[in-house]
Amino acid sequence: MTTAATPVADLEAKLIALLEDFTQDWDTAPDGGITGESRLLADLGFESIDVIQFMVAVEEDIAGRKLPFNDLVMKDGRYVDDLSVRQMAVFLTKEGC
Amino acid sequence: MTTKTLFIGLDGCTYTVLDKLTTEQPGEGVVMPFLAGLMANGARAKLFSTPNPLTPPAWTSIMTGRTPGHHGVYDFIRAEDKGGEVFWTLYDGRDIACETIWSLVSRSGGKIAALNFPLTAPAPPDVEGTILPGFIPAKHLRRNTHPREAFQRLKDNIPGFDPKELAWDFDNEKQALEKLEDDDMESWVRYHLPREEQWFKVAEYILENDAPELMAVMFDGTDKIQHQAWAFLDPNLFPAEPTAFEQRMRDVCLEYFRNVDRYIERLVTLAGPEVQVFFASDHGFTATTEVLRINRLLADLGYLEWAQSDGSDQALRREAADFANLDWSKTTAYCRTPSSNGIHIRVAEKEGDSGVPIAEYKAFREELVEKLLAVRNEFGEPVIVDVLRREEYFPGPFSLEAPDLTLVLRDHGFVSIKNLSPAVIQRDRPAGTHHPDGIFMASGPGVKAGMVERRRIVDVTATLVHSLGLPVPNDYEGEVPADFFTPEWWAQHPVVIGEASKAAAKRAPTEDMDEDEKKQLLEQLQMLGYME
Repeated sequence: MTTAATPVADLEAKLIALLEDFTQDWDTAPDGGITGESRLLADLGFESIDVIQFMVAVEEDIAGRKLPFNDLVMKDGRYVDDLSVRQMAVFLTKEGC
Repeated sequence: MTTKTLFIGLDGCTYTVLDKLTTEQPGEGVVMPFLAGLMANGARAKLFSTPNPLTPPAWTSIMTGRTPGHHGVYDFIRAEDKGGEVFWTLYDGRDIACETIWSLVSRSGGKIAALNFPLTAPAPPDVEGTILPGFIPAKHLRRNTHPREAFQRLKDNIPGFDPKELAWDFDNEKQALEKLEDDDMESWVRYHLPREEQWFKVAEYILENDAPELMAVMFDGTDKIQHQAWAFLDPNLFPAEPTAFEQRMRDVCLEYFRNVDRYIERLVTLAGPEVQVFFASDHGFTATTEVLRINRLLADLGYLEWAQSDGSDQALRREAADFANLDWSKTTAYCRTPSSNGIHIRVAEKEGDSGVPIAEYKAFREELVEKLLAVRNEFGEPVIVDVLRREEYFPGPFSLEAPDLTLVLRDHGFVSIKNLSPAVIQRDRPAGTHHPDGIFMASGPGVKAGMVERRRIVDVTATLVHSLGLPVPNDYEGEVPADFFTPEWWAQHPVVIGEASKAAAKRAPTEDMDEDEKKQLLEQLQMLGYME
């Protein structure tokens, strides 16, 4: 029996596919591949410029428009330390992607 | 397909250097003999840059034929003040509000190649041809190449193609405006030799195999090298009896320019004798001898309060970034980035907000202008020679995104925004800085020889469009320089004014940008550690 993918799971899969393409020319690959729990900085080795580029990639390839990423990266007026793929998927769901 | 127009951008190139490199010099010969021949037989003019002569706004003007108030690009970094918080982001290709020449030529049925130009990623979807963007790190070059598959094609077909060698490297580029030790300075110049060779190989391959109607490549090592090595290139500064280090620096700089001459020769030869060739720089170069720490000055004058650090990692990172870090509740005027040379006035949007009440804005600004123009260095000389008001120098729908005031320093230097005293100091050694006068040159069929009156940066776009045989859009702000061409050719090729260029779809003026502006915040704090 198969279960219909939830919007979050669907977006998570899209994000993982995008990340695999996004990191293909990088020297380092994460152990165990990319999952919903993977964190951009701690697990995927992102630097600040990579985060910027990835947000542009999400806007271009998944959302098709600019997104208010500040809602995702700011908590109580401060910047979050890291982001997981799943957190991004939840954010995209809320944004109606 | 046949290439009609070859455009070679030389970032920051200036006649101050070029005139010497294209003439016989004792012990050096003619460093750029091929370019010397083109210059002798071609048309030349100084090219007046954008009011702040800086790479992003100036190249965007060349790419769009419009001034910054219309195309909306002012700096590397874009910020918006939202009454108590200032949000930062980077400009990218989607921020250009006007149609680029790449899109215009494409919808006219032509193909283009645009190599190493800033703000060409993400590429407009309607572009026919190849865009390999500049100012993009190697890790992200594949995804930002247009069309996407072109990256693999270049990799498969160009021997020695190495994205890491070719692409923008933040760790290296941040050194452009830093003070370097001698060995580091030499390495810095050397780093640009293989980089430029990579761009040349890509240009050669595209020109040879695709021959797009508009073939455009930009070499930016000129700018980067001149920032650090100006003292070894400026004929007025290089000593008659140089030290071994000074001579080594001069030699490696000349090696760079010899290479560029070789690239130009190959590309011009490959394009063929029927092709018109144009060269332009986004700005010129000159020596800066002084540093104005503008935010220190504004603090001394009572307009600005520095942020207090809480000692956290985030705060330390923020402190380390050369990027205005202030107590916004106590700041009424400040400079955001060194490259902007601009002062933003914080206006209180509503009662209770920090900043200058809107009713007092004009008087506040005029008083500030007066105080800025009164600043003197230790020799009693004025440090700021002009203060540009945005409505006058940046008219257009994006005027409000310009700094309220743009400073012109007496030595054309860029300000520092570091929290150091005193506000004005002299440099140990002159450094390179941007001068508003760049270069604009042409050669090929119908081009007349000689130096003509200075042109405006937006004239380049009109000239390229005309060279391609296309009507010049009626909203272009520049003109085709008639005195670049022979009377016969000019009579046979009259300028046709056509319909307005098409607005880029993705950009809207400031008031709609609240949420968009807020994106990418996490990275920005860290990012600026790379930028300066």
